[in-house]
Amino acid sequence: MAPDVSVAGDDVKVNYAAHIRFWRRNLKTFLPRHYTGNDANRMLLGFFILSSLDILGDLPSALSPEERQGYIDWVYHCQLPEGGFRPAPVTNFGAARNDDNKIWDPAHLPGAFFALLNLVVLGDDLTRVKRRELLLWLTKIQRPDGSFGETLGENGQVEGGNDSRFGYMATAIRWILRGNLEGTVDGIPDIDVNQLVKCIRSAETYDGALSEAPLHEGHAGFTCTAIYALSLMDRLPVSKPDGRVRGLTNLPMTLSWLVSRQTLTIDEDDSMDTLGDETDSAATCHDAHSFVKLQEYPSLQGLNSFEGEPDSHAELQWVGVNGRLNKIGDTCYAYWVLAPLFILGHEQIIDKRPVRRWLLEKTQHMVGGFGKASGDHPDIYHSFLGLLVVTMFGEAGLQDVDVVLCITNKAKRHLESLPWRRKLLGQNEEQSHETGG
Amino acid sequence: MPIFYHDDPEWSDIEPLPQDDGGLHPLAAIAYADEYSEAMGYLRAVMAKNEFSQRVLGLTEHIISMNPAHYTVWLYRSRTLSELKASLHDEIAWLNPTALKHLKNYQIWHHRQTIIDGINSPKGEHEFIATMLEQDSKNYHVWSYRQWLVKRFGLFDDKEEMRWTEDMIHADVRNNSAWNHRWFLVVGGRDGKTLPENVVKREMDYAKSAIRKAPQNQSPWNYLKGIVREAKLPVSTLKDFALEFADMRRPDDIYSSHALDLLADIYAEEENGKEEAKKALELLASKYDPIRAHYWNFRKGLLDQSGVAA
Repeated sequence: MAPDVSVAGDDVKVNYAAHIRFWRRNLKTFLPRHYTGNDANRMLLGFFILSSLDILGDLPSALSPEERQGYIDWVYHCQLPEGGFRPAPVTNFGAARNDDNKIWDPAHLPGAFFALLNLVVLGDDLTRVKRRELLLWLTKIQRPDGSFGETLGENGQVEGGNDSRFGYMATAIRWILRGNLEGTVDGIPDIDVNQLVKCIRSAETYDGALSEAPLHEGHAGFTCTAIYALSLMDRLPVSKPDGRVRGLTNLPMTLSWLVSRQTLTIDEDDSMDTLGDETDSAATCHDAHSFVKLQEYPSLQGLNSFEGEPDSHAELQWVGVNGRLNKIGDTCYAYWVLAPLFILGHEQIIDKRPVRRWLLEKTQHMVGGFGKASGDHPDIYHSFLGLLVVTMFGEAGLQDVDVVLCITNKAKRHLESLPWRRKLLGQNEEQSHETGG
Repeated sequence: MPIFYHDDPEWSDIEPLPQDDGGLHPLAAIAYADEYSEAMGYLRAVMAKNEFSQRVLGLTEHIISMNPAHYTVWLYRSRTLSELKASLHDEIAWLNPTALKHLKNYQIWHHRQTIIDGINSPKGEHEFIATMLEQDSKNYHVWSYRQWLVKRFGLFDDKEEMRWTEDMIHADVRNNSAWNHRWFLVVGGRDGKTLPENVVKREMDYAKSAIRKAPQNQSPWNYLKGIVREAKLPVSTLKDFALEFADMRRPDDIYSSHALDLLADIYAEEENGKEEAKKALELLASKYDPIRAHYWNFRKGLLDQSGVAA
């Protein structure tokens, strides 16, 4: 197939009006009851909502000055007296909070990460953030093996998983509050960067991905957040070794794993390749085109299932993206798989158009937002990540984004222009006139 | 039936702490059920008092059934269990149906690790895992938990563990989680030591026979290449095998795109092999794996660059 031929579906558009309605509804009305399971993640939900409206260019008109200030105050309301943020008011004991019970209302890593991002998107200057306390706390939730946990529990015990999601959020907080500086800054010690890099490397898999823990299965989410953490610490591979410990020991293998996540299996109906029939056919192997010749049917079951089926029913028009081998395409993995390719500078090794067609024709929902797979109802998580993907593909009419921080470049420039941050990073006044605003 | 506490005499001594949502403009406010709001008010009140009691266990169960991702409720429950010296076996008996109800929940597995660690025996866990995998044979949390069990109880060389893994691959040769678990046992169990020759041969044979069943299944190809790399063998070791599925002299008879991909790597390392490598990549881009055409063309470009460098 010639690469530049226009295909039906190329003219499909982002339904801007529907997306704006969807996100405004999420912002201004109560979320439906089924979000109760995310009650402890409201800082994250709030961020997905605000950043989506920002990407859609609607945030300035969606918020009155009073509302904007109200949301900023809500985020600060989640800041703890000792520094750090809770991810929602669920554990706030109010006046009853004391030294004996504050352990049940702890500072929370994703809480702090999404709180900072919310403040940046809302245009706050972060001066009310207890920055020293937050940075110091960051060094305490890093374990000796380099990994980061989620909270500090009893006796300073680091609680929560030790996978790269937390490494990503920790390095992002560090970048937001102290840029690329390494070592002690302003009397506050740094996290152990080398140890985190080693920890990330220890979770590289035999097929080039990254996993939750050493020797576990490669997974796009962990691969993406590991690459982000390396990027935020400036520890991605370079062509000439410079003596620093760096991540991704086999970049070509990682690239191969990432591009292999593109799949033609985009409906539950055609995911029969996982259902116990070992036979290859166009119906079982959508990762390949119509091609593979069937040598023979190794089982009677295979023969019965596939005899007489056309060699090709899969179309190249839509290409989905999965998060692991032999799984069905899922909107969120278009982000977790393709965004790291942008960060690695290799976005040209995928064809964006069939992925865009899949997202806009199959998982974009008519009420706005995106669902997980074809025909699914939209939810906040898939809607945000789907929108990020079409934005990073350069969709007209959307604000360009920083794919690592998941905010518009406009919001990122606001952060970079803040006087306290410029001062800390030794950026002088003249530069501030050039790039500020 | 919703459960309420305000008219329950057992809770009459507790004044619930309502949620303070901080002003008129909360972010991502949820339309809570009354049952949930009330239970959370009682939870905040008992946490604020550091009460660890039987009724607290009941309350945390109730909240977990409505919001299993509430991270502190699990920590608080753990502490309560330990304060009460509660039966850990009872805890597992409660956890089993709870996990089945919340297949994608993360906190449940962490809690389970804590409890099983305390019980100090993996007895019954394999049956439970089997039940979970019947719901979703590729559930990441379940496989991760299985790997924790193997590590915690030193089951790397357990014959039953390997037999079970083979059964899982046999049931679905495309289950990559099962392939990875085999890797976990074979390579992880050696803790960085070189794989003995007989193990390398056994693993290569195993992956090859799976590929012969379904040559377009990427899982065993990745496994096979991984073993060859782990054993520090040259990739050309696999040339004859790859040729079974992709003989460049018969470009219309290709049985696996993964064989072509591997051959491209093998030819690229051969003296005068560059043209053959290009041919393999061109076949992939144009005919056998066109959804990744950009990538195969990129690989072709790299071949030319390496030529300049040499």
